[in-house]
Amino acid sequence: MLQMRSFLPPLLFTLAYAALSLGVTNSYYQLILTLVPVWAVFGLSWNLLSGYTGLISFGHAAFFGIGAYATALGQIYFNISPWLLIPVAAMLGGIAGLLIGFPTFRLQGHYFALAMLAYPLAILYVFEWLGFQEVTLPIKRDAPIAYMQFADPHVYTLLGLAIMLATIVLTQVIERSRFGMALLAIKQNEAAAEAAGINTLAWKLRAITLSGAIAATIGGFYAQVLLVVTPQSVFGMLVSAQALTVAMFGGVGTVWGPVIGSVILIPLAEILHAEAGARFPGIQGVIFGFAIVCVILLAPEGLFWKLRDLLRKRMAPKAAAADIPDTSAANVTTLKPAPRQRAATGEVVLEVKNLSRSFGGLKAVQDVSFKLHENEILGIIGPNGAGKTTLFNLLNGFLKPSQGEVLIDGRNMSGQRPHVICEAGIGRTFQVMRPFLRMSILDNVVVGAYVRARSDEEARKLAADAVARVGLSAVADRVAGELSTKELRLMELARAIAGQPRILLLDETLAGLGHGEADEVVAVIQQLARDGMTIAIIEHTMQAMVRLVDSFLVLDHGAVITEGLPEVVTRDSRVIEAYLGKKWVGHAAN
Amino acid sequence: MSKITITRRTLLAGASGTLIASRAWAQQPSEVKVGLLVPISGIYARPGTVMRQGAEMAVEHINGQGGIKALGGAKLKLVVLDSGDTTEKAKNAAQRMVAQESDLVAASGAYLSSFTLAVTEVTERANLPVLTLSYSDLITDRGFKYVFQTSATAGSQARQALPQIIKLAETASGRRPKTVAILTDNTAASIASAKSMREGLLAENKLQLIVDETFTPPLADATSLVQKIRSAKPDLLFFLPTVISDAKLLLEKMNEFGLGQGKVPTISFGIAIAEPDMLQTVSPELLQGVLTCVASWGAKGHEALIAELKTRYKEPWMTQNAISTYGDMWVIKDALEKAGKADRVAVGEVLRTMDAGPSKYYPLGEIKFDEKGRRVGAGMTIVQWQSGVPLTVFPPELALAKPFWPKT
Repeated sequence: MLQMRSFLPPLLFTLAYAALSLGVTNSYYQLILTLVPVWAVFGLSWNLLSGYTGLISFGHAAFFGIGAYATALGQIYFNISPWLLIPVAAMLGGIAGLLIGFPTFRLQGHYFALAMLAYPLAILYVFEWLGFQEVTLPIKRDAPIAYMQFADPHVYTLLGLAIMLATIVLTQVIERSRFGMALLAIKQNEAAAEAAGINTLAWKLRAITLSGAIAATIGGFYAQVLLVVTPQSVFGMLVSAQALTVAMFGGVGTVWGPVIGSVILIPLAEILHAEAGARFPGIQGVIFGFAIVCVILLAPEGLFWKLRDLLRKRMAPKAAAADIPDTSAANVTTLKPAPRQRAATGEVVLEVKNLSRSFGGLKAVQDVSFKLHENEILGIIGPNGAGKTTLFNLLNGFLKPSQGEVLIDGRNMSGQRPHVICEAGIGRTFQVMRPFLRMSILDNVVVGAYVRARSDEEARKLAADAVARVGLSAVADRVAGELSTKELRLMELARAIAGQPRILLLDETLAGLGHGEADEVVAVIQQLARDGMTIAIIEHTMQAMVRLVDSFLVLDHGAVITEGLPEVVTRDSRVIEAYLGKKWVGHAAN
Repeated sequence: MSKITITRRTLLAGASGTLIASRAWAQQPSEVKVGLLVPISGIYARPGTVMRQGAEMAVEHINGQGGIKALGGAKLKLVVLDSGDTTEKAKNAAQRMVAQESDLVAASGAYLSSFTLAVTEVTERANLPVLTLSYSDLITDRGFKYVFQTSATAGSQARQALPQIIKLAETASGRRPKTVAILTDNTAASIASAKSMREGLLAENKLQLIVDETFTPPLADATSLVQKIRSAKPDLLFFLPTVISDAKLLLEKMNEFGLGQGKVPTISFGIAIAEPDMLQTVSPELLQGVLTCVASWGAKGHEALIAELKTRYKEPWMTQNAISTYGDMWVIKDALEKAGKADRVAVGEVLRTMDAGPSKYYPLGEIKFDEKGRRVGAGMTIVQWQSGVPLTVFPPELALAKPFWPKT
């Protein structure tokens, strides 16, 4: 039901647009009305990859151009109808996406963006070299409709609209599914997504394949509208830029962004070109550029998000009366600490044997061995730079060990990808929190649930369950960006347990919390342990830990100094020395 | 313009019916509208502006001489539209032209052949006759009825030029050239010219191709290209740039390597190497003797026009863009006289059938178009840099100066 309702706005928008188009008799305005959905769809295809994953592509013209040329050349050389060629173009675009994505996803950030920039430019030269500088679609006077050549320009607009509606609906379906969640998680933090059990490479490849197919589809249609294809007009820098411009102007990472951007910018550019440009040739570019700069400055994430934030603020005072009791109740429902059977002698679920990792000459972790027993809480402590986080990164697969083994239930998992290790039952949180700020708490947690869930529904159920376990149920619908540090910590905890791990690695979960707040989080962790979870927790402050853990593992300079029960370890002179320096050893003894 | 603004707003309000009402005044026979769709913004603004100058001068001359006599002395009115710098913008402008200037009787445009291709896709469907100086063969290979190509096509230009160049070399140096090098960029017009030479023309003229290089503009460095020329020592170099900086780079490098100033006679195609802008970056000594084959150029009989262009617009000489567009307006005027009514379909019909005798502003041939829309007997001109000015040196009946062959 929820799904059906969300398709209503795009459907209404499309119908209204179609009605407007049918009312317009001027063929020039009609052409502009055709170009708006064309660029909107191209923006949407860009958004599907770059908007959701955050991997900026400067080279979407590659797919657009492949679609355009496939549609044009197929007609010229094989006399095939564009009704067939455009689906073929989509396939080619998808294949191109896969071929381009596979090597290029090794890169991240700016390097990815720059590498993507190279593809259309390289392909542009190939098409010039092949002698396709200018290609015109043959005019079909005898069978115009079979060749998508309509005398009535309305038909082009309606076709463009149909493609746009299909793309919007597809994007919406993806946005709400595991696919969309995975992409959003990759955008926020690819490492965290991997750790949450998401096979990031596979999802990214699916995204670029689909994105390439959509871009090629609309490129093919564009060729049909323009009737002339030149390398510059389909592979050029300006084409790639067009996708970025409409999406960034309208709003990145939302289905409405590229549509808004295109609806405003394409007619605006034309009006400026026709009106201002007629008086002062060239001025249109200046005004257009200036307008974009202004909007990006005022609404850096795009118009959609700015408007939504403004609307929310407007609505907020009205809803405030109802909200206030809620917000006070938004505090964590404190769970009463109850004694727990200390279980240091359970079955060994995680065994680390002689684990080492060095970065150049620096031995970050050297020869570390320990065992984690079922339902145990192990505290891993040590001063800053002792190698604690590196150890976790080795355990959950972010780093490959130089030596040694990580045995999960007796199976050696060292060197496996993080999402594989997550599937094997290890969840983790991060020292630096990586919430998905624009998503609700529940949605944040759902991302972590997919590793165990077979359906979207099951994932929601697991997530709701996890949110309840950390006591955030009352605020589950609030946006992560509005939460306090403590709530964020708990939310991350919920995300880690939503995938129902058997072993939880917590990296400085108490960092940045006040005294009372830390106690609440500690209570939640204790409750998890009572429910049978096995936990390894990193901290470098010992106070809260002493009450929490069953045993300590103390690291310094990457090596284990000692391990054992809390009361023994805290008195160990080597531990005191590592933390405070040699001269305090004597003091501490007293 | 304000009328258009209003209709634009009306569109946003959801209706566009008022457009028809605002049109009645232009239907009066005292004025006949002619379109000019050329780039006046973006990177092609310079040639587009020169085309506009040519058109404005022609319209003024026509009106000064009594307008369209068959229409009771109706005056021509030029409607200029900016084709911008992309194919999409050119197509949009064409659509705007046919939608909002529905009383145009004919138009001229659109400089770059890609633009002309896109523009004529629109005008053909609106039955609006378009005259073009673009010379890509493709433009008149599509079976269109409302496109009229005033220049010789790229393939035909090379065919005409080659024997003349050889003859010139033979008479000047007493030796028939045997080997040639081709350096061409990969733009549509250059590729078309080079292709026709490679595929038969050179062989027909008993020339042997010994260096054949294609580059992508803009060149970063011409050294490797010039080195190939130096080691092969061809009798002729065909150099086909589109971008002025490429022309400059190569000519300077040739000079640096001791091949310049006629050591290897250099022949170009197209107007890039003879644009006034060349002189801003290249010294006249380096250009001395360089030949280029162009579709049209200010020539004998155009002296008054060249002088007028110079005083009015400070253009030092009359390029193809100015003279061809000037001629277009006169052809449209002739067609209007014959059609006897300000109607685009009638003008198109006249253009297809008319035979207005020898051409005055385009080189050679007649004002008559064949079934493809190509001007019958369309010639071309060879232009040579002489003391800092590119002058028409061929065909002899149009030559403003005698050609000279650089001493080798």
